[in-house]
Amino acid sequence: MPALRRIVHEIHSLEISAATRYEQHHLVVGRSRVEALFADPALASVRVHIAAPGDPVRIIAPLDVVEPRSKGSGGGAFPGWMAPVNRQRGGDIHVLRGATVLAAGFLPRNQEGLIDMSGPAAQLSPFGRTNNIVIEFDRADGASWQEAEIALRRGLLRVAVHLADAAVDAAPDTIEELAPPHRPGTPTGGLPRVGVITNLQTQGAFKDVFVYGRSMAGSLPTLFDPAEIEEGAVISGQYGHPALRNPTYLHQNHPVIAELRARDGRDLHFAGVVLCPEPVEQGDKELVSTHAAWLCRAAGFDAAIVTKEGAGNADNDLMLKVDALEADGLTAVALYAEMSGADGTGPPLVAGPRRGAIVSTGNYDQRVTLPAVERALGGARLRIADAEATAAVEVPTAAILSALSPLGAGRLTCRSNEEQPVGQKSVAEQSVGQKSVDQQLVGQQSGGTA
Amino acid sequence: MRIVHYLNQFYAGLGGEETAGIGPRMLDGTVGPGRLLAQLLGDQHQIVATIVCGDNHAASNATASQELLDLARGAGAELVVAGPAFGSGRYGLACARLVAAADAAGLPALATMHPDNPGITDAGTAPVVAAGATAREMRPTLQRVAAAIAKLAAGATLTAGDGLVVKAARIGRLVEQRAAARAVELVLRRLAGDQQSTEVPVGGFDAVEPAAPVDKAASATVALVTEGAVVPAGNPDRLESARATRWLRYQIEGVDALASGEWESVAGGFATTAANADPNRLLPLDAARTLEREGAIGRLHGEFMVTVGNGTPVATARRFGVEWAAELRKAGVQAAILTAT
Repeated sequence: MPALRRIVHEIHSLEISAATRYEQHHLVVGRSRVEALFADPALASVRVHIAAPGDPVRIIAPLDVVEPRSKGSGGGAFPGWMAPVNRQRGGDIHVLRGATVLAAGFLPRNQEGLIDMSGPAAQLSPFGRTNNIVIEFDRADGASWQEAEIALRRGLLRVAVHLADAAVDAAPDTIEELAPPHRPGTPTGGLPRVGVITNLQTQGAFKDVFVYGRSMAGSLPTLFDPAEIEEGAVISGQYGHPALRNPTYLHQNHPVIAELRARDGRDLHFAGVVLCPEPVEQGDKELVSTHAAWLCRAAGFDAAIVTKEGAGNADNDLMLKVDALEADGLTAVALYAEMSGADGTGPPLVAGPRRGAIVSTGNYDQRVTLPAVERALGGARLRIADAEATAAVEVPTAAILSALSPLGAGRLTCRSNEEQPVGQKSVAEQSVGQKSVDQQLVGQQSGGTA
Repeated sequence: MRIVHYLNQFYAGLGGEETAGIGPRMLDGTVGPGRLLAQLLGDQHQIVATIVCGDNHAASNATASQELLDLARGAGAELVVAGPAFGSGRYGLACARLVAAADAAGLPALATMHPDNPGITDAGTAPVVAAGATAREMRPTLQRVAAAIAKLAAGATLTAGDGLVVKAARIGRLVEQRAAARAVELVLRRLAGDQQSTEVPVGGFDAVEPAAPVDKAASATVALVTEGAVVPAGNPDRLESARATRWLRYQIEGVDALASGEWESVAGGFATTAANADPNRLLPLDAARTLEREGAIGRLHGEFMVTVGNGTPVATARRFGVEWAAELRKAGVQAAILTAT
């Protein structure tokens, strides 16, 4: 089986025109073809828009986000949806890096979030910095929301392949070889074997993630080929907490896998990936946690980084898993978002492990002030703020898509400020001085690291 | 300094749970813990009056703290001292609300309770001096309070060294490395022997000690409460679907079951299709009525309380818990079934 190679074409700008084509970092999106790829009895119509970094644009109610990828004329990307699973694995996959295709609009079980393409929130969402092709949609009369959601998901994947197909013959910017994880027993020269457990939400309709097109609900944790995740084997159909959501794009570009690969052979041996459901019942949570710890040990992991999707329910899965891993003698680190209230003085976690260590992805409750924008996509009103979609609003970080990415995509964390009296100096300062906190967020960014 | 001291009904010697519903009132001079406090204060400062309110009344009446403040003012208070409430949630909430109201009105005030008391977040800008977890630590607590009063009277500001409860605010900020890279760093540090590093403290979570079993369930009044956001269809009172700031109550006297179409869940954290098809599966009214008819429980309480747990900060949820406990105590409820999602 050949190793997977990413053939990377960097996208710096987008344009909508008659026919799709790719030329030197510029992607032209063929409107009629893209609309046709969404043709489905459950959708009355779709509209294609562009939202680029720096645009005075707010995307309301974003749904899933997909990175355009294609394996060329033979197909093979998005197995279980767009390709059979028993195809040729590995080989070359073309990636339009810096571009996404995403759907936005009302869906009843979608917890409303937003993406700002400029202002402070643009620094907080991974999708405030990408060139986004935004699909608005109208459900067909008589179609159920479930049918509309499936139609959107298929449409996004079709468009993702169609757009990347345009670059298949172009000279790439870079080629990245993705070595498979080291098998257990491979001599490591003293380096630790470190892997990742990624919990996938499995709470039924609109709260589910698909592996090869199927829900993991009811499954035991399984070792999984990271190359298959690159090829789109994990697809999100999960619309809970916007900031705590893992859209398909972030599975395709799994940040922990990327960071483990980056240090593979130097500081560690990349030991592998375990995918695990997040069941809702306590006994099932204990079962999958115990089994995941056994699996990691059987696969020869010395340590595991554990990721989740969702809020309090998912926090319990992290807790049980870290405790089970550490009890089995493995070193465990979990990625948690904090929920310590708007002023940051409340208890930070709903449920946390007794052992191991935690990386913070930011505070869910911290408020962010967003300036007015010129244009909104996805809806005319921002319902969580009861405001016009383009208005200046203050929202919790919780509302900004993937701002607290449980897969570790973001650069937010929390640090304790100087101790101050309980009660509230803190609240007073916060309400008056909110701006300064936001500037702190943005100030760091402008000094910073793209 | 003329001090007015706030106590709950228990420490004022007016009774236990059976008198927790009494409203604000004033007693002359020092009462209960006030006597020891007066002794520790010496001649410099005088407790001129004691104000009292039942825990349930204070925790469930929005106007109680204002009425208590008026009483303190009437007694010529130059400083209000509330507590020690130790770990008691309702008492802590009452102390916190009173000192917050006093402080906001320009009357110096000081509360004392355990730093983990759920009421502490309601203290507003007023200082809170740490108390022990239980009344066993009455003396050292009041020694700290007396010293803090002397310091305030001298015009100084309290610090952590005086027992002032301070809590660091955890503030979000952007850092150089993304979280995934920091996770790998942290794993490598731990593998190299550093067992201390973590971005969020590990462990130290609340463990709730279960109350004793209900003595005679067949004669007990049982309440249903839920964080599953069950509300009348259309959500007339606009309960949030996430990040609750409040809770609501609804009458179920004479209602046998929650009819689909008349009740719904507005929770944002899970797929509500099944819950809305049969809201009793979220708030088990039908089953509770069966138990009531069979005599397995004495009586079902006539209303239920509801909020949404989805994304609600722990500190807020703890305060709701204290308020619900006060409501249920007040109504003579012996047991509650809390359904969660």
